[in-house]
Amino acid sequence: MFKTIEVAKDVHIHTRVTDQFKTVNFSLKLRRPLKVEEAAERTVLSNVLQHSNAKFPSTASMRMYLDDLYGTVLYLDTSKKGNEHTVLLNVETVNDQYLQHGDVLEKVLELMHTVLFDPNFEKGIFKENIVAREKEMVKERIQSIFDDKSRYAQNRLTKILAPNHPASTSANGTIPAIEAITPQTLTDTYQRMLAEDAIDIYVVGDIDETKMIEELKKALPFGDRKSSFEKNALPKIQPTDSYVKETQEMKQGKLHIGFTTPVFFKDADFPKMQIFNGIFGGYPHSKLFMNVREKESMAYYCSSSYSAQYGLVYVMSGIDAENEKKALQLIDEQLIVMQKGEITDLEMTQTKAMLQNQLKEALDSARGQIEIYDQYKDLDEDFNVEAWQAKWQSVTKQDIVDMAKQLHKETVYFLSGMEDVK
Amino acid sequence: METIRFDQLDETLYYEKLENGLDVYILPKKGFSKTFVTFTTKYGSVDRSFVPLGEQDAIRVPDGIAHFLEHKMFEKEDGDVFQKFSEYGASANAFTSFTRTAYLFSATNHLYESTETLLNFVQEPYFTEKTVNKEKGIIGQEITMYDDQADWRLYFGTIENMFKEHPVKIDIAGTVESIDKITADHLYTCYHTFYHPSNMLLFAIGALEPEKMMEVIRENQAKKEFAEPTPIKRIEVNEQLEVAIPERTLRMDVIKSKVSVGLKAKETNLSGRDMLKHELAISLTLDILFGRSSEFYTKVYEEGLIDESYSYDFSLEHGFGFAMIGSDTYQPEKLIQAIKEHLKKAEEKWPFGEEELERVKRRRIGFNLRALNSIEFIANQFTRYKFNDMNLFDSVSAIEELTVADVQEAFKSLQGESQQTVFKILPVDDGKTVYSPEGQEL
Repeated sequence: MFKTIEVAKDVHIHTRVTDQFKTVNFSLKLRRPLKVEEAAERTVLSNVLQHSNAKFPSTASMRMYLDDLYGTVLYLDTSKKGNEHTVLLNVETVNDQYLQHGDVLEKVLELMHTVLFDPNFEKGIFKENIVAREKEMVKERIQSIFDDKSRYAQNRLTKILAPNHPASTSANGTIPAIEAITPQTLTDTYQRMLAEDAIDIYVVGDIDETKMIEELKKALPFGDRKSSFEKNALPKIQPTDSYVKETQEMKQGKLHIGFTTPVFFKDADFPKMQIFNGIFGGYPHSKLFMNVREKESMAYYCSSSYSAQYGLVYVMSGIDAENEKKALQLIDEQLIVMQKGEITDLEMTQTKAMLQNQLKEALDSARGQIEIYDQYKDLDEDFNVEAWQAKWQSVTKQDIVDMAKQLHKETVYFLSGMEDVK
Repeated sequence: METIRFDQLDETLYYEKLENGLDVYILPKKGFSKTFVTFTTKYGSVDRSFVPLGEQDAIRVPDGIAHFLEHKMFEKEDGDVFQKFSEYGASANAFTSFTRTAYLFSATNHLYESTETLLNFVQEPYFTEKTVNKEKGIIGQEITMYDDQADWRLYFGTIENMFKEHPVKIDIAGTVESIDKITADHLYTCYHTFYHPSNMLLFAIGALEPEKMMEVIRENQAKKEFAEPTPIKRIEVNEQLEVAIPERTLRMDVIKSKVSVGLKAKETNLSGRDMLKHELAISLTLDILFGRSSEFYTKVYEEGLIDESYSYDFSLEHGFGFAMIGSDTYQPEKLIQAIKEHLKKAEEKWPFGEEELERVKRRRIGFNLRALNSIEFIANQFTRYKFNDMNLFDSVSAIEELTVADVQEAFKSLQGESQQTVFKILPVDDGKTVYSPEGQEL
C-alpha cells in the first residue's frame, strides 16, 4: 500500500501515490517510550510548536499564513499506542492542480520545516510567556474530562483497573507533571525529540514520488537515531476485582465495566477477538444492543469495545441508577450465553461482513490509510485487505466460545447522581 | 435521467424526478470503495403544527415526535432492520434535525440490496402501542444522556433564549413528559403527512454505476402505490425579530464555566443562490471577526479568556437563523464583554476590506475542496442544500463572487443589541444549589 524507504537510522518515509483525493496529506509520527512526565512535556511542546515559531511568532500570524495557503490544515497532537508515546504533526493541503497558480505544496513543506526546526526561542530556550500559556491550555484540556461524564467514567474505570499502567496513562500527562514544566525542561525535551525519537513520515496524494522524497529529506533533515528504544513488554495488569461507586450532580447513571483478555493485537487470536467483540457489543446486531437496549429498553447505548493494545474489553452503558443491578446481570448473561456457545450463524455472518466493510471504508480516506498502515506494519506480514478478510472468514463459533471463556471481569465502575444514592 | 456537470470540480451529478415525485440524485466517485445512500424527508422537529394529510383542521403533535418516528421506523413486525443491514455488512443510521429526518447507510458490498432495504423500511411503517411504549424507555435514556451534557445544554439554552414562539427552541428529542404522550396513531398521522415520496430526496454517492442505481430505485418505486402528491400545509409562527430572553444562567456539575453569545438572524426568508451567497457572506464575516487569525482571537487567547473549546458557527434555515460564539472559560463575564464589545466596534466601523476578505475566501475555498474528499460530508450536506433550493457544488463559485459590500450588507441580519443573548453554565456552588439566582431561572 505504501512505499517505504529508510532515510536515516529509524527514520522512515512512507509514500502513497493516488489520485483518489483532491488534497495532499502528511503525517509525521515521532515516538519514544511512554512516561507520565515526558507525556506532559511533549503535549505542551506540541501546543507550543503549533502556535508559535521564529517566522510566525503569534497564533494569528501563523493562522493568516495557513489561510493564504488555501486554508491548509496543520496541527500537532499527542497520542499513545501500547507503551509508546507519539507526537504527531498532521498537515493537509489542497493539491496544486486544482488551483490557478500552484506553489502551495512547496510552501507547505517549508512551513513544516519552520514549525519543527525553527522554534521561537529567546536566549536559546522557549519563551516563558508562551510556555506558561500553553501549560495552562493543556491543564484545562485535562480538567475538561471531568465535565464530560462518559469520558470521566471511562477514565476512572481505567485508573482503577490498571493503576500506573500504560493503559491508564494519559497521552496528555497529568496536571502535576504539567505544572513542573519550565522553558528549560521543555527545550531539553524538544531537542531530545528531534535527536532521538523514532520517526515515520507519511505522504498520501497525487504526488511525484521521487521529487517528494527529495523535498522531504531537505525539509525534514532528521539524522540517524543513536539507539533504537527498547520495545519493552507491557507490565501485567494486577487483578483488582473491584466494584467502585461514585456520585456527582447528574441525571443518568454511567455503568462502565472492564475485562481482561490474554489476547493482544500481535497475537494470532486477534481476529477472533475482533469477532467476539462484534457479537458481544460492537454493533447494532450485537447481544448487548439487542438485549439491554432493544429487548429491555433499559438504555439508549450499551456497547463493548476491544482495546487490543492492552488486552482489555470495556462495556459501557447509560442507565437509570435504579437499574444498576439489573443491567449488570443482563450484561453478565450476554457473556455467559456466549461462553455456552449460544452464537448464531447469522451473528457470525453479520459480524464478519461488518468488519470487512469497516476496514474497506476506513481505507477510503487518506488519514484512514495512514492510520491503518501505521498500526498493521508492526505485524510480521504485509498488510492487505484480502488477507484480513481471509483471517476473519476462517474464524469459527468454537473460536468465539474460547475467546469468551478467556474474558475475566476485573472492575465495575458506576457513576450516578447524588439523589440516587440510597 | 439528466446529467449536471461541474467542470471546475470535475464531478458529474445524475438526476431524475420519479413519477411518484421522489427526487433522486446520484454522484459516482472514482477511487472509492464505499457508497453512501441517504433517504431524507423534509420533516423535522420544527414541524409540530400542520394539517394532516386528507384533513381540514390543523393539529399540534407532542414535542419530539419526528425523532421518535425516526427511531420507530427501524422496528418491523419481523424484527429490527439493523439486522438486515448487518447481514450485507452495511452500517445503517438515521438522524433528525430541526428540518429533516434522514435515513442512511454506507457499504462496500451488496450496495443495491441495501438500497432496496433502505427504501423498503422507510416506506413500510409498522407501529403498535406496544412497540411505541417500549421505545419510550430508550428515548427517555437518550434525553437523560443529553441532559447531562453541558455543551448540549449550552447550545439549546442559547436557542431557547433567542426564540419566543418558533419551535426551533424545542429540543429535537422532546422531553420525557412530551414523548410519554406519543401514540401509534400520532406516528401514522405524521408519517402519512410527511413521508410521501414527493416530500423526500434520495442521494447516492460513491462506488456505484449511476444507470444501474437509478434503475434499481425506479423499479422499486414503480412497484409501490402512493397517494397523489398533495402540498403539505405547515402552520408557520410569527416570530419576533428581537431575542426572547437576553440572559440566563444554569448551574451544573462542571469545573469550568461555559459561555455562549447568540445572535438571532433577521433575514430568514431566502432560498436558492441568494440564500447560498447570504450564508457564505455571514460565515466569511464571522471568520474575519472571530476566526483564529483575527485580532479578537489573539487577544482573548493570550488573556486566557478562551481555551481549545472556543468555537463560532452560523445556522440558517427557512424561518430561523442564528450565530453562536462561545468557549469554556474561567472568566465568563470578561469573555462576554469582550465578544459584545467586538461586535459593537464592528457595527460602528466596518473593520475590513478586500485584503482580509480575500484571505478568508481562500480559506473557505480550501475548506470546500477538502470537504469534497469526504463522501460523508457530501452525503450529509447535499440534501440540506437541495431542500433550500441551493446546490452544494455551487459553493466555490458563490464564494468567488462575494464582495466587501455583499458581506457588509449580509451581516446586518445579525447586528443590533436586541439580536444578542447570553447563556452561561456555571459550576454548582456547594453541590446543593442547582439553579442560579442571577438572570432568569430555568
